[in-house]
Formats: sequence, C-alpha cells, structure tokens
Amino acid sequence: MLTPSNIDALQTALGSDLLLFLPELVVAGGVVFLLLCRLVKALDRSHLGGVAVAVLGVALLVAVVGVREAAGSAAVSTPYFAGMLISDPFSAFVRTLLLAAALLTVLLTLLTGIPDRDDSGDFYALLLGGTLGMMLMTAANHLMLVFIAVEMASLPSYALAGFLKGRRQGSEAALKYVVFGAGASGVMLYGISLLAGTFGTGYLPNLASAVAARMGAAGGFDPLLLTGLTLVFVGLGFKLAAVPFHFWCPDVFEGAAAEVAGFLSVASKAAAVALTARLLLTLQAAGSTMGASPASPWLLPGTVGLGVGIAGAVTVTFGNLAAFGQTNLKRLLAYSTIAHAGYMLLGVAVLTPAAASAVLYYLVAYLLMNLGAFAVVALVRNATGAEDLAAYRGLVWRSPVLAVTMALFLFSLLGFPPLAGFAGKFQVFAAVYDAGKGASGAGRPDLGTAFYALFAVGAVNTAISAYYYLRVVRAMILDAPGSTVSSPKSGAVDPVPVSPDLGPANSGPATPYAASVYLTVLAALLVAAGVVWNPITAATDRAAAAFVPAVRVPGPNAGGAAQR
Amino acid sequence: MITVWHYLVVAAVLFGIGLVGFLTRRNMITMFLCAEMMLQGVAINFAAFARYHGNLHGQVFVLFIVAVAACEAGIALALFLMLYRRAKTLDVSSWQELREVGVPPTVDTESLPPVPAEPADPQLSPAGRKPAPTAEETVRV
Repeated sequence: MLTPSNIDALQTALGSDLLLFLPELVVAGGVVFLLLCRLVKALDRSHLGGVAVAVLGVALLVAVVGVREAAGSAAVSTPYFAGMLISDPFSAFVRTLLLAAALLTVLLTLLTGIPDRDDSGDFYALLLGGTLGMMLMTAANHLMLVFIAVEMASLPSYALAGFLKGRRQGSEAALKYVVFGAGASGVMLYGISLLAGTFGTGYLPNLASAVAARMGAAGGFDPLLLTGLTLVFVGLGFKLAAVPFHFWCPDVFEGAAAEVAGFLSVASKAAAVALTARLLLTLQAAGSTMGASPASPWLLPGTVGLGVGIAGAVTVTFGNLAAFGQTNLKRLLAYSTIAHAGYMLLGVAVLTPAAASAVLYYLVAYLLMNLGAFAVVALVRNATGAEDLAAYRGLVWRSPVLAVTMALFLFSLLGFPPLAGFAGKFQVFAAVYDAGKGASGAGRPDLGTAFYALFAVGAVNTAISAYYYLRVVRAMILDAPGSTVSSPKSGAVDPVPVSPDLGPANSGPATPYAASVYLTVLAALLVAAGVVWNPITAATDRAAAAFVPAVRVPGPNAGGAAQR
Repeated sequence: MITVWHYLVVAAVLFGIGLVGFLTRRNMITMFLCAEMMLQGVAINFAAFARYHGNLHGQVFVLFIVAVAACEAGIALALFLMLYRRAKTLDVSSWQELREVGVPPTVDTESLPPVPAEPADPQLSPAGRKPAPTAEETVRV
C-alpha cells in the first residue's frame, strides 16, 4: 500500500535497496551499453563478446561479494523496493548461478563464433536482457514482479531462438516458442488475477498466509485456490518444459543454435525451478507456522505438492521414453532436459527445505553437465556441419578431448557415481525418501506412500535413461567413423562428408585449443563437485534455510532439515 | 445491481473466447490477437477486483499488462513479418519442418475454402477528360 509514510520509507531505503540490486543494475547497464555501441562506428565494427564477458564478470563478482556479506549479516531475508523484490540467501545463490551460466554461455559463443561480428551487439544484448529477467524471477516477492520477470526472461529468449535468421528451422523454432509463450503467459496471468484478486494483495508473504489459512479452513480443496494455483503452474510448467507443456522444447532446441539451446536449457530452467520452489515453499512455510493442528504441515504437500509431484513423475517418464528414438543430438538433449526438469520437480514437490537444498545442488551440477554437452554439440557442428548421431561415430579417434569430455557430461547426466550428476540425483532422491518417511511417521501413511512412489519413479527412470545416454557414448567410442554423415532430417545447413583426417594431427579446426581448455575445465569442475560435496552443500543449505519456517514446528519437517 | 461477479463473468468469457480462438485458429495474426484477448480478459478481472477491494493494486497490474502486451506484440509481429516474407503465407501449418522422426507432416484432408478475390481498385483516368463509366462503377454508385 502506497501511503505517504511508505513513500518516505522507500526514499530513505533507496540507497541500501540499490546496493542490494547492484548485480542486476550492472547487467542492465551492460544491455544499454551494448545497444548504444551501435552508434559508435569503431565499436559497431568490432565483436562485442568481450564487453559481455566483462559485464557478466563484474556482475558475478558483485553477486558473490553480496552472498558473502549476506552470510555474515544477521538479516536472513530483506524485502526491498517496497517489498517487490526480496534479497535472501536463496535468491543470492540462484542469482550467482544464473550469472555463471550466462558467463559460460558467452564464453562458449566466443569459442564457436555463432553471433558473427555484425550481430554480436544484438545477440549479447538479448542474452543479458534474458539473464536480467531470470535474475528478477529468482528475487520476485510480488505476483506482479513474477509476471513481469517471466515475460522479461521469455521475450529475449524468443528472439534468441530465431537468431539464425538465414535458417528456416531457426525461424520455425522462434515461431513455436512465441506462440506457446504468448498462450502460456495469458493463462498464467489469469491464474495470478484469480489469486491476487481474491485476497486483494499480490505480496507473496501476505498472500501465502491468506492462502494457507483459507486452504486449512477448506481442508485442502478450495476450488478457486486450486484453479488459480494450477493456472499459475501452467505458466511455470511452460518455462520448465514440464509435461504436458513441453511440446515447444524439442522443436525449439532443434531449430535454435546449440549455444542458445544450452543457455535456455540451463539458465531458463534454473530460474523457473527457483521461482516454483519459492512460491511453493513460501506457501508451505506460511502454512506450517500458522497451523494449530498437527496435520497442518502436511496439508500443502498432500494437495499442491502431490500435484506437482505427479506432474514431475509424468515429466521424467515421458522425457526419458521420448528420448529413446532420437537421432538428432539437440533433440535428444531436449528430451533429456525435460526429464531433468522432472527430477527437479520431484524434489520441489515434497516441500521441505532439505529438498530445496538438494534441488539447488542439482541445478549446479546441471549447469555444468548440460552446458558442457551443448558445447560439444556446437563444436562438433562447427567441425562437421552435422548434429545427428552419425556425426559422432568414432569421435574419439578424431577428437579425443571432445569425446572424453562428452562422455563425462553424459555419464553425469545419467547419474554415474563419481560425478556431480550423481551427487545431485542422490541428494534429491534422499530428500524425497526422507519426506516420505517423515510423512509416514507423522500419521500420513498415504502421503508417505505417495512420496515413496515418487522416489521409485525417479530411481527407475534413472535406469531407463542409461539406454540413450550410453547409445551416444557407444557411437563415439565403439563405432567406426562413418564415411559420410548426411541425413535429410539432420539439423545441418549442408551436411558435409566427415573426412577421416580430422584426427589428432589435424585437430586445429576440429577442436581449437581454447575449446579443449573450456571443456576440460567444465569436466574437471563436474568431477570435483561430484567428489567434494561439502562447499556446495553448505551453500545450498544456507540458501534453502530461507524457507525454514520462523516458528519451528516440532515434527519430521524440521527433523529433515536438521539431518543435513 | 451489478456486482463483482458480473465483471468476472465477462472477463472469463473474454478469456475463454481468446483461449478457444488461440487453440483453433491457424492464421498467425489471428492466433496472436486471440492471445491478446486473453490478456484483456485478465485486465477486466484485475480492474474489477481493484474496485471490489477499494485499492489500486489491480489498476497498477493492468498498466503493466498493457505495457508487457505491447512488448510481446512488438516481437511477435516482427517475427511474423519475417516468416511471411519467407513463406508468403500466414498459415502456421506451413511451418512444420521440425517434428519427430517418422511422423508425417499434417496435411489438410479437405482443402480450405477459396479466398474471394478482392475487387480491383477503380482506375482513375488522367484529369481533364470525363471517364467513360464502366459497368462496375455504375453498380457502385
């Protein structure tokens, strides 16, 4: 409510608020600068990737310093800009992650040279703009900001998807993305209007306590609330590419450039997962602090959480099954992206801070492994002009670095033990299992069984997914190099024969030195994060602690958090 | 007496028309206008709730919706223009190159109704001479 006293408070707090907003301001300044570069002849003629790297590097530095300061101060979560945004360890962590993802994407584009010199200013302005929207998504504390941030993240993504203007498929990808996105944002906005309108406020903490109170009174099934929440989750499901709103994902990823697809799959997904987790866990924290009856901590996991969990289980199963028959690598990775969104939804669905922490760890691992896999796809495309599985036959003989790092990324996506992907999956599954145990112990055996079922679905799917990941590994290592790679369905502009002399002696064009370093660093980080969990789990635990209810409820809910 | 429910029903109907049109139409611009219609339904919702609660939150929401819708229209129409230049049609079904392996493209089982040709513009004669009336022009007058 904007009363004069509130406006005065806003003015006095402006200095500290702007300080909290500094990383976003740096990125926004970068966007403006990149757009203005068009006016200066010397800058217009040069490749602007360095500017983007500098902007993102500074923003990342500021964000990391902010995380450290926030860890030292007593205030865990500070709403700022009149409560529109919130600065807490959770948003600080995801913000850092998003900036790192954007920085790695920009470095990748510098290695592969996909925006050429003329287009670089526009490309990086769009990329930075999308990153800014995603950062706002993680910090949104008001339903209006939720909507604006989702749109701010989506609109540059549409343009990025169709950035290869010369390719028919790029235009088609952009068309499908825009049409889906426009519909999904309309539906989501209708849900927001129902929720915000019913309670007369869009401010998340107030809204969460009002929703929790009303839900508790209605025994969990209030049709208006469930409609509003479902419609909001339609919009988020579109951003997450969760079944049944996943249709755009394979087509957009196949049509867009591999670098863009990597950015969309990693950063856009991280922001959407963070927003979903914030909405659900704020609701859960409000519900479990105010409930007088012992059943109230399990009211939301039993209704909304279970719905999200079922969506996650369907998503993970569908994604893995649909990836089976794919021959285009980008399409295969798109379905793998859908499946991984499902794993993360399984973790979010149980609504415990421990699970949120596990999902954050999963996002870190996912950033490294998925961006790495897309980087390999981009480099192989640069060397061979093809993106289908045939281009990967015998890759290990032609370019050992690409093949070995790609195998590491795929094993990590599969969840093979010494890699970060395993650590992420293990923590998510353990959190789901703990929540099931907690629900059974708290007199909700039905809910406990449901969570055990979610756990089982995730575990079985991990086994299923081995088939298609290992198929790529087998093609790279065991198959003989194919004489030609040409397929009418390949995403290549013009399939060219793979010459067998792309071997180590001639590895200059196949894998440039810098690209090898890039991939090796990513793979090394992946192994390191998989072996030494502690630094990251400490950070994710601190981040997820933002959602521990202020008044601790005695029960398994708090116990689950304390176990970690 | 018009209550908040009346506004909500109008908004829901507008949203529903937009949603149905969005799902059934094939012309890109019509689809997009239907999506915009969904947003306008939401705007009525917000305005009605703002009046009901006696605060301005809903109105502020509406302002932002209008702004965001304009941005969306900007990017979507630019894209549609590019697609039209390339395919010479606004039919979305001409864009189905990206699809699952082994799935045939969707083709119309019955052809679309023929588009009536627009009447030719009347040709004006150079000034200074009375034009001979043609058959078409007499009809128009």
